[in-house]
Amino acid sequence: MDFLFDAFGEAADFLRDSSGELGAVVGLTLLVAGIATVVAVALGVPLGITLGLGRFRGRQVLLTFVNVGMGIPPVLVGLIVLMILWSDGPLGSLDILFTPTAMVIVQVFLALPIAAGVTAGAVSSLSRDAVEQLAALRLGTVRRGTVVVREVWPGVTAAIAASFGRVVSEVGAVLIVGGNIKGETRVLTTAIVQETRQARFGAALALGLVLLVIAFIVTGTLTWLQSRERTDA
Amino acid sequence: MPERRFEHLRWPLDQPVVDIDELVVGGGERLVLFGPNGSGKTTALRLMAGTIGGDRPDGVAYLPQRPYFFRGTARSNLELGLDDVERGRALELATEFGVSDRLDVAARSLSGGERMRVALARTLASSADIVLLDEPLAPLDHRDREHTATTIAAALHGRSAVIVSHDRTSAAILGDSLAVVVDGQVRQRGRIAEVFTTPIDDVVAGVVGISNVLSGVATTGDGALVEVEWQGRTIVAAGSQTTREKVKVLFGGEAVAVHRDLPDGASPRNVIGGTISDIRTVGRLLEIVVDCGDPVAALITPGSFETLDLHQGSAVYLSVKAVAMTAVSVGDAE
Repeated sequence: MDFLFDAFGEAADFLRDSSGELGAVVGLTLLVAGIATVVAVALGVPLGITLGLGRFRGRQVLLTFVNVGMGIPPVLVGLIVLMILWSDGPLGSLDILFTPTAMVIVQVFLALPIAAGVTAGAVSSLSRDAVEQLAALRLGTVRRGTVVVREVWPGVTAAIAASFGRVVSEVGAVLIVGGNIKGETRVLTTAIVQETRQARFGAALALGLVLLVIAFIVTGTLTWLQSRERTDA
Repeated sequence: MPERRFEHLRWPLDQPVVDIDELVVGGGERLVLFGPNGSGKTTALRLMAGTIGGDRPDGVAYLPQRPYFFRGTARSNLELGLDDVERGRALELATEFGVSDRLDVAARSLSGGERMRVALARTLASSADIVLLDEPLAPLDHRDREHTATTIAAALHGRSAVIVSHDRTSAAILGDSLAVVVDGQVRQRGRIAEVFTTPIDDVVAGVVGISNVLSGVATTGDGALVEVEWQGRTIVAAGSQTTREKVKVLFGGEAVAVHRDLPDGASPRNVIGGTISDIRTVGRLLEIVVDCGDPVAALITPGSFETLDLHQGSAVYLSVKAVAMTAVSVGDAE
């Protein structure tokens, strides 16, 4: 029992003492996860709407890919992206391996199927009458997209929350393509792994609590947005 | 107004419930697709609108049977998909349909009738040259139907329309021609009065029932009875019209009495002379169609038919009680 109390004590000390370094790690975590979520949602929500509404050739195949992608092991995605960005790989000349850019890329691959899949699920729950009305109105692609997003807004916020949750908590892929380089590519999850390996449980616990707070704030904000939209119409 | 040719209306492709090679509308015609539930009218209309079947024709405005309202106000739904000019027109139409004071409430708090009128305003405000309407009067109260039908007719403004209806009265007040749809095919097409009085076979007769539709102009009325000019005559019908406006007078063949000579005692106004153009058997009764300018159908027992010694081409007088005829408004008189 004392061991656990000590760990919490150390965690408190860690948070008090290492504010500068911690700030950099938190900042990079938010930046990488934030950009990855924005890109994944910007691509995935329109894809999800197309999959949810559409009756086109190849829809079933695409939907299968999305569903598989939602559950794909992050380390595998990390490995594939690593090999592509490796100096001898197809995109090795870009020289972005072990940079935050590589981490954003790998996280977009992880979050995109989730954004698309959750959105497609919400859109395909639209009633037949709603789909018929959409077809009857002959809206432009963008206008139609905004009408649908508004209509399935709780589903879209769930897609955003799930995408952010996946990337902010993910460790395997960012560790592989980022390398956990202190001051350059270290984020909260890779830092937790680092501290744990070195048996600095207090520090690891502190970092975990910070991660929890971030997840709580982001998800809480999205939940608030979700319910607000629901009450106004 | 251009003619519109809808071809290969077939759905689903493997086992069609609708199979119409071609349907041509044009010249400001208001064609009612009429038939029993499940006959394929709505599917045919959806194929014309292109919401099923793949073809998305241009210049077609379509009102689905159950218009869906998206999150937002009635106004945001009214304006959806319309350009600036059409929005202006939609607001005017909302006023004419009597829903302009309901535009700032959440769309989902509108009643079924209000929704239909907002959706009608949006559809009719479109600058499309063909308008497709699926059961536009169905969710409305009976007392709102005539006014709404009149507003629809005015808003079409000479454009052609295809209107789905399974209800005789709605069909009669909305359309000027009728295509009877049975088992996914057009069984008969013609002017409404013609199809209602002279169905081509017993299937169509069973679908349309037997009914008379006289198109005339109401002149004066006391709120209960109205005088209607029709084919150069004046007839009296039940109706609340008090000013000059276009009406259709509806009545069944069972309300028509047949005489060889000008009858005594009956109000001379509702006695109409003509010659028998057709005689058919309808169950145990006979139906005669009398050409009075418009065709008028009358049901008669075989006994009376014998007694009156009726034949094709016989001159007869028909009388109808005013209260048995209903005048419904269909638009302002020119």
